[in-house]
Amino acid sequence: MPRNSALVSTKAACLRRFGKFSRLIKGLALASAVFSSQLITASHSFAVPFDIASVDGSIVDVSGNKIQSQPQSPTRASTVLKRTSAQSPKDDTQSKPLVRFHAWGGSAQVNGYLHWVAAQVSQRFNIELQHVKLADTSDAVSRVLAEKAAGNHDNGSVDLIWINGENFAAMKKHNLLAKDWVKELDHFALTRPEKNSAMVTDFGEPTLGMEAPWGKASMVFYYRSAHMKALGTAPGQTINELLRFSQKAPGRFTYPVPSDYLGISFIKYAAIALNGDKQSLFYLPVTESSLQAVLPALWAYLDQLHPTMWQQGEYMLRQASQLQRLVGTGELTLAFSFTAAEIPSAVNRFDLPDDVRTYAMQDGSLANVHFVGLTYNSKNKTAAKTVVNFLLSPEAQAEKQKLTVWGDDTVLDMASLTQAQAMLFKDESVHKSALDKSQSAVLLAEPHASWTDKLREAWYERYGARY
Amino acid sequence: MFTHITLVARWCLLLLLCIPVLAGLVGVIFPALGYFPAIGANAFSTQVFATLFDLPDIWQMMWLSLFTGVGSTLLAVIAAFCILATFYQSSLLGKIQGVLSPFLVFPHAAAAISLLFVVSPSGIFAATTTRLNAYFSHAFTTPFVNEISEMALPAANDGTLLYDGLGLSILIALSLKELPFILLMTLSVMSQPLVKKKLTGYVKVGTALGYSPTASFFKLVLPTIFSQIKLPLLAVLVFATSNVEIPLILGPNNPSTLAVAIMHWFNHIDLSMRLLASSAAVVQVAVSAVAVVLFLGIERLVAYTGKCSLSGGNRYFADTALRACGFTVMAVYIILICTVVYTVVVYSFAKQWHFPLLLPEGLTLLHWNTATSALTTPLINTLLLGVLVSTTSLVLVLFTLESEQLKPARAVAENAFSVSLFLPLLVPGVAFLYGLVWFQQLVFQNAVWFHTYVAHMVYVVPYVFLSMAVAYRKFDNRYAMVAQSLGKTPWQVFYHVKLPSLFSAIMVAWALGLAISFSQYLPTLLASGGTLPTVTTEAVASVSGSSTRLTAVYVIIQAVMPLIGFMIAWYMPAVATRRRSKQMLVSDTHSNRSADPVQ
Repeated sequence: MPRNSALVSTKAACLRRFGKFSRLIKGLALASAVFSSQLITASHSFAVPFDIASVDGSIVDVSGNKIQSQPQSPTRASTVLKRTSAQSPKDDTQSKPLVRFHAWGGSAQVNGYLHWVAAQVSQRFNIELQHVKLADTSDAVSRVLAEKAAGNHDNGSVDLIWINGENFAAMKKHNLLAKDWVKELDHFALTRPEKNSAMVTDFGEPTLGMEAPWGKASMVFYYRSAHMKALGTAPGQTINELLRFSQKAPGRFTYPVPSDYLGISFIKYAAIALNGDKQSLFYLPVTESSLQAVLPALWAYLDQLHPTMWQQGEYMLRQASQLQRLVGTGELTLAFSFTAAEIPSAVNRFDLPDDVRTYAMQDGSLANVHFVGLTYNSKNKTAAKTVVNFLLSPEAQAEKQKLTVWGDDTVLDMASLTQAQAMLFKDESVHKSALDKSQSAVLLAEPHASWTDKLREAWYERYGARY
Repeated sequence: MFTHITLVARWCLLLLLCIPVLAGLVGVIFPALGYFPAIGANAFSTQVFATLFDLPDIWQMMWLSLFTGVGSTLLAVIAAFCILATFYQSSLLGKIQGVLSPFLVFPHAAAAISLLFVVSPSGIFAATTTRLNAYFSHAFTTPFVNEISEMALPAANDGTLLYDGLGLSILIALSLKELPFILLMTLSVMSQPLVKKKLTGYVKVGTALGYSPTASFFKLVLPTIFSQIKLPLLAVLVFATSNVEIPLILGPNNPSTLAVAIMHWFNHIDLSMRLLASSAAVVQVAVSAVAVVLFLGIERLVAYTGKCSLSGGNRYFADTALRACGFTVMAVYIILICTVVYTVVVYSFAKQWHFPLLLPEGLTLLHWNTATSALTTPLINTLLLGVLVSTTSLVLVLFTLESEQLKPARAVAENAFSVSLFLPLLVPGVAFLYGLVWFQQLVFQNAVWFHTYVAHMVYVVPYVFLSMAVAYRKFDNRYAMVAQSLGKTPWQVFYHVKLPSLFSAIMVAWALGLAISFSQYLPTLLASGGTLPTVTTEAVASVSGSSTRLTAVYVIIQAVMPLIGFMIAWYMPAVATRRRSKQMLVSDTHSNRSADPVQ
C-alpha cells in the first residue's frame, strides 16, 4: 500500500516513512532507557547514601574531646579514628564505608540496641552499620567458609559476627577470623584482660585477639507464678527438683535441640550438676574415658525427663527464642534463658505475662562472655574496628546494660573507669520479673570447648537427629 | 522487525527458565557423586549415597515427604472438585472466588504462621472449647458465669494437631493452601470462551437427559478440562513434596521431611555435609518424580473406573455426600479465615492476653511502631524487587505470547516449550537453588541484586505466563486480523489493539507476579546470602524469635502487600477505561466539527 501512494505523491510517502521511522526510534530509545536503568539498578547493591560525607575536622573534634577524658594513650585512638576519617572519603563508590554485622536477630531488644549503635556510628564516624539478622549464627559461619572455598579472600559479605563458643572454635579452626586485631582497640584495655582471663578465653579456647568481648551472660530460669499456683507446685531450685516438677506437671517444660546454643547449655549444666564429684573433668579437653565417666548420670536423668516434657520430647524446639514465645502463650510454665534482662524487657513489651518471675538455680548457673569477631576477608576492616571500639566504649556498654534497652552485663572492669564513666552505669529501675541480683548466685564456668561437640553428638546418637 | 524482537524474547524466556534450573541441578549432581574440589573431593564415587542411606531416619523422611505431598494434593483436588461440583452453576461462585482469592496470594510462610497461632493449644479454638467446657460444667452451680474463676491452662500434650509424627499437620496445612490455587485455576480454564461454550453445551445435554448437576460435573465437565489442568496440578504436587516452610513451622521434628533435612545439611558449618545434602537433593528429585508417577497412576485408575461408571446410566453421583462436602469445605475456609484474621490482627495490637480470654487486656501500638521502624529497608527491597521482577517478566511473557501468534512454532518445539515453562515448578526448589547459588558464587560475586533477580524470575515467569496465556487465548483474534487487513504492522496491532483490550488481564498478571515475588523465601535467602532482607525473610526469622505480637504484625504486612497490588490491578483498568471513553467522547465531538482531509 505505501508503494502505490508513493507513485501518487512522493512527498506524502516520504513523510509517512519518516513518521514510522521516528516512532520506531522513539520506541527503541524508550525501551533501551527502561532496560538499561533496570540493569544498572539490578547490578548494584542498594545503598542510598542519605548523608553527605562529614568533614574531617568535625570527626577529629568529636573524638578529640573524648580522648582527653580517657586515661589511656590518646594517640592510638586518634590514629584509628583519623585513619577511618581519611579512608572513608576514598572508600568505594559509596560515600560511607559499609560494615555488615551478622548477629542473631531473634531478640527485639538486641535489634533495638543495634539500631541505636548504627545511628551513633553513622553520626560520629560516618560509618554505615548494617545489622544482618540471623536465625542461626552458623549460617554466617558457613557463608564465610563458602566464600573462602570459592576463593573470595578480600571481599567477603560478612564483616563483623557475633559469636562465641563452638562457632568461634569452628572459625578459628578454618582460619576465618582476622588475627590479633583486638589489642589495637583503645577501649579493650578497659576490660583489664590481664586480670580477667574470661575476656581472652572463649569456652577454654584462647581468643588470640581474633574476637573482642562484648557482654556477659549467665543462665537463669523463669516461670509463670500464676501457673505454679494453679498447679500447686513450685519451680525446682536444683536439677533434681526440676525433674520432680516436670513429673508432677507433665508437658510444662522443655529445652531446645542441642544444636541450639541454649539447648546444649542446658545439657552442659545438667551434666555438670549431676556429676558433682567429677566437675574437674569438664575443664580439661574431653577424652573418651572422661566422656564415658559423666554420661551415665546424664542419660539416666534425661531418660526420666523426656517423657514428661512438652510433646514428650518428640518435637524439640529448634531455637531457644521459641521457649519464650511458648511461655508467653501459656503452653509452657518453666523455661530458661541466658540473658536475665530479656525477661523484664519482654514483660514490658507484653511478650511475657506480668506474673513471670526469674531465679537462678542453686546448684550453679553456667556463665560466659560473648564476643564480636572480624572476618579475615572483610573489605572495610578499619571501619569495622572503629565500630567494635565504639561497642566497647563506656557509653555503648552503659546503654547496653540498661534494663529498658537490652540489659546485657558489661565486660568493662568498673575499676578502670573514671567517676564520670562509672556514673553512666547506674540504673535505678527495679522490675518485678527481673532477677534478684542481691542474692548471690553460684556461677559455673563454661567447660572446655571440646565438650560441646562430644556431648551433642552423644545426645543425637541416643535420642535421634532432629531436623 | 517486531516479529524478530518477539522471537528473541521467546528465546530469552526459554533460556531464563532452563539455564538456572539446569545449572542448579548440575551444581547439585556433581557433589552428590562425590566431586567437590573445594573440600578436596576429586573422585566420582557413590559413597555419598551409601552414607545417606545408612542414616536411620532416611526412609521415614522420604515417606513423610511422599505422604504429605501426594496426600495433600489429592485432598485438595478432591475438595476443589467437590466445591466446583456444588457451586459451578450457582450464583455464589463469584463470592466463593472472592473469598478464596486472598488466600491464594497469602505467602506460604504467613499461612503456616497464622495456622500455628490459631490451631495451637493456646489458640482461639482451644480457648473457645475451654470456655464452653467451663460454662457447661458450672451450668448447674452458677448459671451466670462471667469469667473463669480458676486458672485454665492450655492443654499440654493431648489434643494437639501440630507437630504430629504422621505429618497430618503438614498435610492439612498444605491442602488448605493449595485448594484455592487449584480451584481458581480450574475456573479460569472453564471460563475460556471456546471451552465454556463446549461445557455449557455438554451440561445442557446432561440436564436434558436427567443427570444431576453434580453428576454432570463429574461425568461431563471434568474429563474435558482435566488434561488442561494436569500440568499445573503436577507443579502443585512437586511443590507439596518439596516444600520447606510449612514442615519447618508446623511439622514434626523426629524426623522432619526430606526438604527440611536438606536445608539443615546445606547450612551446616561442616562443609563435608554439603555432599550429603547434595545427594539428599538428588533423592528429593527422585521422590518428587515418584510422587508424579503415583499421581498419574491414580489418575489412570480413576479414569478407568470412571469410564465404567460413565455409561452406567446412574443419574446421581453421590450427590448429597459431595454437596455436603463442598459446603463443609467452604464453611471450614470461612471459619478459618475469620479466626486467622481475628487472631493475627488482635495479637498485633495486644497488650497482655492470657489464655482463655477472647480479648486482650489492652491495646497498644508498640508492636506496629517496632515493626515499621525495623521493616523500612526490607519493605523497600521487597517492593523494588517485586516491581522489577514482575514488570520485566510481564514484558517478556507478552512478547513471547505475541511471537506464538506471529510465528507459531512446530509441534515439537511447542511441547518442549511448555515443558520448559514448567521446569522450575517441576524441579524441587530446595534441590536446584543450592547448586544455583554455588554457580552464582563463581560468577559475579558482588551482584547480589542480579542473582536474587534471576532466582525470583525463575519462579515468577511461569505463573505470569500461565495467567497471561489464559487471557491471550480468550482474546478474539479477529480483531487482530481486521487490524492487519487494514494495513497495520504487527507492532501497531500489538500496541494499539491487543494491549488496551487485555489491560485488565495484564494488570492482574502483574499483581500476581508481585505477589509471587513477595512470597519467595528460600530463593531470596540463598541467592543473596542473607544480605538482602525482604519482608518474608524477616517474617520467617521472627517466627523463630520470641515475640508472637511482632510476628503477627509481620504476617499482616506480608498479607496486605499482595492485596494492595491486586487492588491496583482491579482499579487501574476502570480508571483507564473511564479516561479512554472520555477521550473518545472528546475526539468524537472534535471530528464532527472539523473536516480535515485524512493525510
